Amino acid sequence: MKPRIAELIAALPEDLDRMEGVSVDETWHRLMDDLAWRPAPTGRLRRFWALGTLQAKIAAAYLAYWLRAGYADADEKRRRLNETHLKAALKLLGGMGYLRGAVMKMGQILANYPDVVPEQFADMLGRLHFEAPPMHFSLLRESFRNELGKDPEEVFDDFETKAFAAASLGQVHRARLKGSGQRVAIKVQYPGIARTIHDDFRNMKAAAFPMRLGGDWDNLKLQFDDIRRMLDLETDYEQEAENQRIARLAFREGDGVVVPRVYPEYSTRRVLTMEYLDGTHLGAFMASRPSQELRDRHGTQITLTSFRLWYQAKMVYADPHPGNYLFMPDGRLGLIDFGCCHHFTDQDWDFVCEVDRVANTSEEGLRRVLIRAADMTPKQQTETQRMKLMREWCDWVWEPLFHEGPFDFSDSDYFHRGVALYGELVRRRYTRSLPVNIWLSKAFFGIRAMLAHLAARVDMGAQWEQERATH
Amino acid sequence: MRITAEKKRQTRQRIMDVAHNLFVDKGFEKTTTRDIVAAAGIAAGTLFNYFPTKEALAMTLLAEALDRTEAEFGGRLQGDEDLAEALFAHVAAGLRGLAPHRRYVGEVLETAMSPFGSNAVCEAAERVRLDHLEVVRQLLVSRCPEVSTGPSFIAIHLYWTLYLGVLAFWAKDESPNREDTLSVLDHSMRIFAESLTTHSPGQEEVIDEAENR
Repeated sequence: MKPRIAELIAALPEDLDRMEGVSVDETWHRLMDDLAWRPAPTGRLRRFWALGTLQAKIAAAYLAYWLRAGYADADEKRRRLNETHLKAALKLLGGMGYLRGAVMKMGQILANYPDVVPEQFADMLGRLHFEAPPMHFSLLRESFRNELGKDPEEVFDDFETKAFAAASLGQVHRARLKGSGQRVAIKVQYPGIARTIHDDFRNMKAAAFPMRLGGDWDNLKLQFDDIRRMLDLETDYEQEAENQRIARLAFREGDGVVVPRVYPEYSTRRVLTMEYLDGTHLGAFMASRPSQELRDRHGTQITLTSFRLWYQAKMVYADPHPGNYLFMPDGRLGLIDFGCCHHFTDQDWDFVCEVDRVANTSEEGLRRVLIRAADMTPKQQTETQRMKLMREWCDWVWEPLFHEGPFDFSDSDYFHRGVALYGELVRRRYTRSLPVNIWLSKAFFGIRAMLAHLAARVDMGAQWEQERATH
Repeated sequence: MRITAEKKRQTRQRIMDVAHNLFVDKGFEKTTTRDIVAAAGIAAGTLFNYFPTKEALAMTLLAEALDRTEAEFGGRLQGDEDLAEALFAHVAAGLRGLAPHRRYVGEVLETAMSPFGSNAVCEAAERVRLDHLEVVRQLLVSRCPEVSTGPSFIAIHLYWTLYLGVLAFWAKDESPNREDTLSVLDHSMRIFAESLTTHSPGQEEVIDEAENR
């Protein structure tokens, strides 16, 4: 089952139609007109808010779809009560605060799912990864000065007042280091965004709490907390700098992968200064009509980054979206954002190793792993349909790993099956899971989405074996 | 014995320095004029020769801090900022100047610049208000063609209310590096700038009518 955006939005609770005084139909048509005639609304602020509203609508639609499925069979009274809470939660989502921090991230995540959202939306949402959002220079300068005690022009040469990219909850400017002239990229966070995310989540949780749908609420709450932690981490640039430092150590000259060097002396919790990499993002790269060979090479590099960080740095690169990769003119791949990384705990690592051991080898072992992965209650372990779907999900994840030779990610059927399967798991509310799986799922989907966008052929299994054996 | 202008300047400065330190240590409300007189080593009457009230003294401290930032602000403008950004830069420069006084600025403004109080609590407060609004007027005229003849009293009142709100927020902001103030200030100035350029039906008539009264 694959819901379309129009269906999702149409399924929103009725009075959301009048949210912001405009009907959903009208909003929909306006958005479509906008997309058709004006790829990005002009004016920084207008563009941002237009996208913000669009993202909020889509995110709200998904939330509604997901939540509705859970109480379709409930009695009328309970359904009405849930509908009321749902409306409250969705209104809150639509009206989130400054820069709609959490919604923006949800939009970015959705942009990674081609065929779930129509292509135009994916393109437009995808653009948020690297288009400049509206933090004017005066605001940036004050934020920078608060962090480093000086104006950016005092610290750097040739500081470009216009941002060249949007980043994790901030924006990025180019400059040169005084003395060496080294080109650097300086990421500055929107002031107050960390607090906004925290508040948004607190409000969302308060609104969602009365729903307590089904018996898995405690587990859902854990996952919800993990998503919040994921976003909290993205606001801590010191942690990001540390992730980047660790990741940089994992790659060697011949890997063709570059992680830019961080300059800690010019970095704080809200400012991150790193080496500037020259390159293009996925959209521009594909527009240059690259050869199959080049696409395969970059696809292989993308897969390598994932496995290498996993097995050597014990870290999940959990946000593999188009804005985080740079296709460099010399054929190397730049990896540029480490805000969303998860370091395996001992428990996580034990789980990962167990999965590796049983993958494609032992049915009984696989069953044990599935029970562990989904944190199943004894009753759930007896549900045939649940076990079957979980098994199919694993098979989908593993399919490229056990494929003989290079796997062709341009095969849209593969990705469609994954999306449909995931949708079915959510629809049936088989969402109980170890928290680490949120990170893993995001990484699995993200990498496969990137490879699908690239239409690359990658021998994922060989790489997997090699990285597992090396580390 | 004649007191020279230099001596007067020194005494005035000494009063301001000790008052500032006392306000920071004890707060504005808890500092008395007697405390200031004692700390400055002057006679009680001497203090009032320079400052008629404690409020006037405190406002003078704030006014001079703001004066110092005004020149810096002018030098920072590139000329291509839109209205919201230019207003942001103006207020942000002022907040930077006021930073050493943050401990007591809220108490002083509550007394000397309350929106519910008289406009003329003291000369220094009125001067701060007028000087600030003059810069705002210039920014409006230069960056907002809609108000080329100057802002209406409604716009000015709206602006001043937002400005005092930002100051009040800043005075109590406990966020790291007071980053929340930057976001409140940015929003406030955007709201104000947008209010000038977004015309609701009949708005012109209301403003015209108000200006002609």
